Amino acid sequence: MARDYDHLFKLLIIGDSGVGKSSLLLRFSDNTFTGSYITTIGVDFKIKTVHINGQKVKLQIWDTAGQERFRTITSTYYRGTHGVIVVYDVTNGESFANVKRWLHEIEQNCDLVNKVLVGNKNDTPERKVVLTEDAQRFADTMNIQLFETSAKDNINVEEMFMAITRLVLDSKLEMMKRQNVTQNDTVNLKQKNKPGKKNKCC
Amino acid sequence: MYATKQPSLRIDQSDLMCKKGCGYYGNADWEGYCSKCYRNHMDQERQKKSRQSQADHSKAQVSGFSKFEEKKRQQTDKKNKYLKSLPVFRKSSSAKDSGRPEKYIDMRQANPDADKLMAEFISSYGEWGEHVRKDFFKCVQAFTTKMLSELDAKPIEDLAEIAQNYYNLYNKRVNTNDVYQGVTSEVKDELLDFFERYSMVSLYSFLFCPPSTNDEEKDLTIQDRIRKLSWVNAHHLDCCISETSIEVRDLVYTAINDLLGLDSMKAPQEKLSCVVRCCRSVVKVLQHCQGGPVSADEFLPALIFVVLKANPARLKSNILYVTRFCNDSRLMQGEAGYYFTNLCCAVSFIENLTAESLNMPEQEFQSYMSGEVTCVSAWESALVACEGMHQLCEHLALLKGLLERTAVVQDGTQKLREDMEKLKDEINEKVASVLERTPLIIKPRKIPIPITRDNLPVSPSIHIPKIVDTNMPETDEITPHNYYLQNLSMTQINLLDSTKTKLQLDITPCLPVPNTAQMPSQSTEFLSPSGIDNRSLDSLTPDDNSYLGLSKINYDIDFSDLSADNSIAEELTPEKRKSPTPSFTTPDPFSPVGVSCNIMQSPLVPSSGPMLVPVQERPPKKDDFVLPFLESIPKKVEEETLLDKLEETPIISLPSPIKPFTSEYTGFSKQGSKIPSIPCNTGDFSSLNLSQSSLPSSSKDPN
Repeated sequence: MARDYDHLFKLLIIGDSGVGKSSLLLRFSDNTFTGSYITTIGVDFKIKTVHINGQKVKLQIWDTAGQERFRTITSTYYRGTHGVIVVYDVTNGESFANVKRWLHEIEQNCDLVNKVLVGNKNDTPERKVVLTEDAQRFADTMNIQLFETSAKDNINVEEMFMAITRLVLDSKLEMMKRQNVTQNDTVNLKQKNKPGKKNKCC
Repeated sequence: MYATKQPSLRIDQSDLMCKKGCGYYGNADWEGYCSKCYRNHMDQERQKKSRQSQADHSKAQVSGFSKFEEKKRQQTDKKNKYLKSLPVFRKSSSAKDSGRPEKYIDMRQANPDADKLMAEFISSYGEWGEHVRKDFFKCVQAFTTKMLSELDAKPIEDLAEIAQNYYNLYNKRVNTNDVYQGVTSEVKDELLDFFERYSMVSLYSFLFCPPSTNDEEKDLTIQDRIRKLSWVNAHHLDCCISETSIEVRDLVYTAINDLLGLDSMKAPQEKLSCVVRCCRSVVKVLQHCQGGPVSADEFLPALIFVVLKANPARLKSNILYVTRFCNDSRLMQGEAGYYFTNLCCAVSFIENLTAESLNMPEQEFQSYMSGEVTCVSAWESALVACEGMHQLCEHLALLKGLLERTAVVQDGTQKLREDMEKLKDEINEKVASVLERTPLIIKPRKIPIPITRDNLPVSPSIHIPKIVDTNMPETDEITPHNYYLQNLSMTQINLLDSTKTKLQLDITPCLPVPNTAQMPSQSTEFLSPSGIDNRSLDSLTPDDNSYLGLSKINYDIDFSDLSADNSIAEELTPEKRKSPTPSFTTPDPFSPVGVSCNIMQSPLVPSSGPMLVPVQERPPKKDDFVLPFLESIPKKVEEETLLDKLEETPIISLPSPIKPFTSEYTGFSKQGSKIPSIPCNTGDFSSLNLSQSSLPSSSKDPN
């Protein structure tokens, strides 16, 4: 299989409207912040290939609409998702309060999926209302990794995406190993599947 | 078919309508009914039939089986109906119980698209050898026959599962079978894609909107729903689509066209590419409207808007078809998957749309939905009504825009006018204030002179001295009066610098001697109005010794200063101008501090005293004052008087002759001031400047 990647993962960015999901995505995929240039296709669909442990991992990042009124219909997005990035705005307490709802939604739509919690807009300390300690405590109780990022100042964005990619990759490799060990019959068939089909949810 | 239809090309509008007159268009294939009425019609027919058949078979059939039978019948009925709609299947439809092989043959005959694809396949992949082609078609045939065999027996979801399995199988085969050994991976992917496409095109008529499902009903429901929601505009969805911009409109039309094309495609990937094209147009619209990258927060509402405006035919069937028979991996990943997911979201949003999701009150929503209120916008007219209406709306929008801009321009004009008025007022005010300020300085200076002159003459004591002045050298008494005169004039002299030291010396003794209690108080009071006195106070700083040499010039300057104040004042900066005025107030603090101040005040007192105090009192006071003064400083005064005399006599002698001419003192004073001023200006102007410029600094320090 002479593909230009070893693994293909689908990541989903969710969170309230206006927390900077698209900015994070744009920063990561193009390393830009504002719309000084016009993308050929929207920000909403981005592909980036990263290298982890010598393996080429192609990331497909799906942006989602965060408006409250679209909340009920977003379940289709979760199909085949490997990792979910839950974003809140550190300058907006409400967006942090809604994280719980987003996590609940993930739980409803996927059984097994890797998650990270991201507090974006962490660039103006005087406007910050969600304290790091609070967020960290919450993340600990939910057993999620927390990142405080700034798409504007390019703080922690790359690290966050790499972390979720690593999580997804690890869990995929783990699953492959387990499958190899337990059911030898199906391995042949499933191994031939395109990578990324393994740990799809839903 | 064509032959029969051609003559009837000119069809009356009424012929196109549903036979039942429900307002929708009918279809010849549906026996002239619209789809809904046709279905009702068929249901009725079927019910009749089933009643008959039930009557026939009721005894033989078990209740459980009858259900199954019923379902099966429904399926076949629907299928027949569907097959009827496709002209190619007319023949086969008549033979209801035709076997599978026949169907298969039909399918082969029926699919010019499949034939085209086969030709395409041969031209594209013929180079990979006969065996590849053979294997490919073998697999396709296996897949299609399997699907057809299961078509009636299994629900559509199972068929979808089978299709997915076959995709995977073929994927596996392509990657492992020896036949495909020499094929590159790109071509393998293409082959997979082609496999899906070819088989789906072949099976399209069976798998799209299958009669076993209620897809068609869903189609109708959503179509009706969208029709009811035709009033929803971009504003309701909070998406920024400028409805009147031509480029945006064109892009939206493109998007709508792409979305409408969804129904005409057969293969799932072709349908998907329609969706992708549509969504890209939507993204372009948003980029055009907001001039930046587009996020999902904006994209989804815009897509919903486009779906609402497009109202694509058999939307739900298309979506379900793609979901079922498109390769899963394609749907879950990639751009197509993303946009298709968004489309699904948009559709489900439309299905569940409530007043709340449009952020409008329930009542308003209901009135819109029931058609009580209609909302006319550029889009409504463009998409629903005629072009003329559309243009009308566009023009209205344009006019509205122009009106807004006119208002802006008018506001701007108004503001400009106000600004101009304000500027005018400001300038006037400034000019007035400047005028006020400058004359203020001039006036007090000018006035004091006449006043002093007035005072001087009023008081007899001054009269005498002046007269005596002429005889100066002889009388000692006159000298102090001269001093007063001098002092009054000296105010400007002080500016120059030197004189004071001696003056001070002279006068100091005067103070204690005359009226210690009364005088100072009066003097302070009096001082405030007259600027000259203050100056003298300010300038009192005991610096210079060169009294003698300067004295002559000083006198000249005194007058010049007074008269020529204007010219100097104008040259001075406001600060400099101000500096003398504050000195007015300074005397109070000053007087107690410096002896010199008192001294300066004291000489004025005699003249000032009369102003405040009744005239009668003056003479004695003056006398008193003069006498002690004379007495107290016999030596020093003499010395100075001598000096003064020497200097003064010539100068004061000059004015003295003028005095007699003028009976009125004011006139005299003016003249008197003017006369010396002329020489002063010519003579010592530079020194004056210097002295005045140095003065403010010295006067400021005490402040």
